[in-house]
Amino acid sequence: MSFNRDFSRDGTFLIDLTKCTGCRGCQVACKQWNQLPAEHTEFFSGEGYQNPPAMSEYTYTRIKFRDYQKNGQHEFAFYKEMCMHCNEPACASVCPVGAFEKTAEGPVFYKDNRCIGCRFCMIACPFGVPKYEWSKALPLVKKCTGCLERVKEGLHPACATTCPTAITYGPRDEMIKLGKERLLKSPERYVQKAYGYQEAGGTSVIYLTALPFDELGFKQVTKRALPEYTWEALRLVPGIFLTAGAGLSALAWITHRRERLRQELEKERAALAAEEAKEDQE
Amino acid sequence: MSTLRRIDDEVRSYHWFVKALMVVVLVGAVAAMLRFVYGLGATTNLNDTYPWGLWISFDVVTAVPLAAGAFTLGAIVHCFNIKKLEPLVRPSIVTGFLGYSLVSVGLLLDLGQPQRAWHVLWYWNVHSPMFEVSMCIMLYTTVLFLEFLEPVAQKFGWKVSLRLLRWLEMPLAIAAAAISTLHQSSLGTFFLIAVDKLHSLWYNPLLPLLFWVSAICSGMCIIILEATACHKWMGEPNEGLLLRTLSKILPWTLGAYLALRVYSLVLLSVGPFFNRPWLTLSFLLEVGVGFLVPFIMFCNKAVRENDSRRALAAGLVVFGLVLNRFNVSMFGMMDPQNPYFPTAIESLVTLSIIAAHILFFVLIAKYFPIFEHHPETVDYRIPHRPVKTAGVSGQSAGRG
Ligand code: SF4
Ligand code: SF4
Repeated sequence: MSFNRDFSRDGTFLIDLTKCTGCRGCQVACKQWNQLPAEHTEFFSGEGYQNPPAMSEYTYTRIKFRDYQKNGQHEFAFYKEMCMHCNEPACASVCPVGAFEKTAEGPVFYKDNRCIGCRFCMIACPFGVPKYEWSKALPLVKKCTGCLERVKEGLHPACATTCPTAITYGPRDEMIKLGKERLLKSPERYVQKAYGYQEAGGTSVIYLTALPFDELGFKQVTKRALPEYTWEALRLVPGIFLTAGAGLSALAWITHRRERLRQELEKERAALAAEEAKEDQE
Repeated sequence: MSTLRRIDDEVRSYHWFVKALMVVVLVGAVAAMLRFVYGLGATTNLNDTYPWGLWISFDVVTAVPLAAGAFTLGAIVHCFNIKKLEPLVRPSIVTGFLGYSLVSVGLLLDLGQPQRAWHVLWYWNVHSPMFEVSMCIMLYTTVLFLEFLEPVAQKFGWKVSLRLLRWLEMPLAIAAAAISTLHQSSLGTFFLIAVDKLHSLWYNPLLPLLFWVSAICSGMCIIILEATACHKWMGEPNEGLLLRTLSKILPWTLGAYLALRVYSLVLLSVGPFFNRPWLTLSFLLEVGVGFLVPFIMFCNKAVRENDSRRALAAGLVVFGLVLNRFNVSMFGMMDPQNPYFPTAIESLVTLSIIAAHILFFVLIAKYFPIFEHHPETVDYRIPHRPVKTAGVSGQSAGRG
């Protein structure tokens, strides 16, 4: 685990949802780059105009739609769902075989040749990101790759490259700076908070929005890095093991010794009594 | 041919209940095969919202504490040196060994890539509670197997190994208790990562400790139930006197559990607590009927000394434990708008795992010296100086 690593130069998405037009170019680019098949869906099968209704083994990112009224006008707001590429990923910490890795470049990478398919990562991820190949007999986990191969070659992720307006990609500290500037420059335009700046201990995807985050469907997530919650207990493991082992051994030794002494005493007494009896007889 | 014949005759002579169990196990095995042919998606109601279902909640998270009797009793008898309870150790070891073997079966069925289960041994991740539990389960099943070998060696008259195993009894009991402490509690650690997902009635940082203490309680209660049932239906000797002693320990452990539970709820959790009526009900049933009532019952001497009332109280604890594990691993994380129900296949497999447990237990008790083992007369001290070899073989044969 990368506790206390410096994340400021990690490749990070700054997603300004006030600039998103809902064109869903990112959805298409993602499918294309990752060679993901289309899904058979129906319009309005989810909450609103969004399609497909949820992220899945075939859909790593998706634009959620929310329509609302503003000054008597219909307005749309959007939310691009994807893996947050957490600084300290819950998925990586719970995986028994370490199939997830927070790479130095920023993306959280899934090594599918390690995965045993326990699906703990799906339980652990606070954003509900990892999806499973339910259609297969020997399924694997699927999630946004952060386009690690592209990033390693100096390119930007497919969705960030395609997006005409809303996504900026760059080192985390610069993205945070840029986001802060925007919040300061046009306070009337934004909710004064950046989602992902501190969520789950900080992530490599940072959002700016006009609507409150929960209204758009953002999850309420703790500010602490999730691996800390389990590590608090797990770090005690060697100590508990040794204490339990040593304690019980000591206890066993004491109780058995006491018993042995008692029996020896009894034997001695018996012997003494026997001798006395013998003497008496004589 | 004649061997087959003999086996056939033997099976025919079984009680109808045992035969029924065999059928259930067979049906379950077929259902389990379907899972491998058609995949998890087609045979279970698991999906991206519910990646874990009945198999994890029951076959793993609940079955492990139910099999905790072996390590608890081992520690009581060998470390605390309450030797009186020794006759209960063997049945509890058999239960534990069966329980853990079946947990492994359940886990393999649930894994998406069961052929890679060995990866856990190769790619370590010490930050993962799942890694820890898997390692412990493998280690502990081995320990239980070694402990289980004792009646086997006795049955076949392997004197040397019997002596060796007898000598190993104590170290194995200590190893068992230490390993069990780790994985019983780590099962609770699983759910510490479910911050903001698991309902506040169950989520608190003491989950690992609570899991451990409740496992100890339920392990002992399973022994009580088992011994009572074996006496009633299998004509085994009545262990009532020993169970009375065992149930004297229970008010302490149950009391500790309740105290910890109240403490963690009042001081370590942040609400909202009673915002979901069904969960509130489930919580009250679990803590009230499953822990508080049996606690009061076990405090009462009349209950402890009455075979059927004692069994009832033990049954309540088991109920409380099962409900607790389901509350933590399933109900407390469920989305009420879109609940999860297991499919027929999932339920059948779990049912047949339970049936397999009872079946194998009955068969082992039938063919191996599990209950006849009353070594009140046996000297259990660790030999502090070597015993003269001439006497050994005769002695150890006499010991069983
Ligand atoms: S969002 Fe979820 S899947 Fe993505 S890195 Fe974080 S914990 Fe892992
Ligand atoms: S499903 Fe695979 S990637 Fe996810 S935690 Fe289990 S082994 Fe790791």
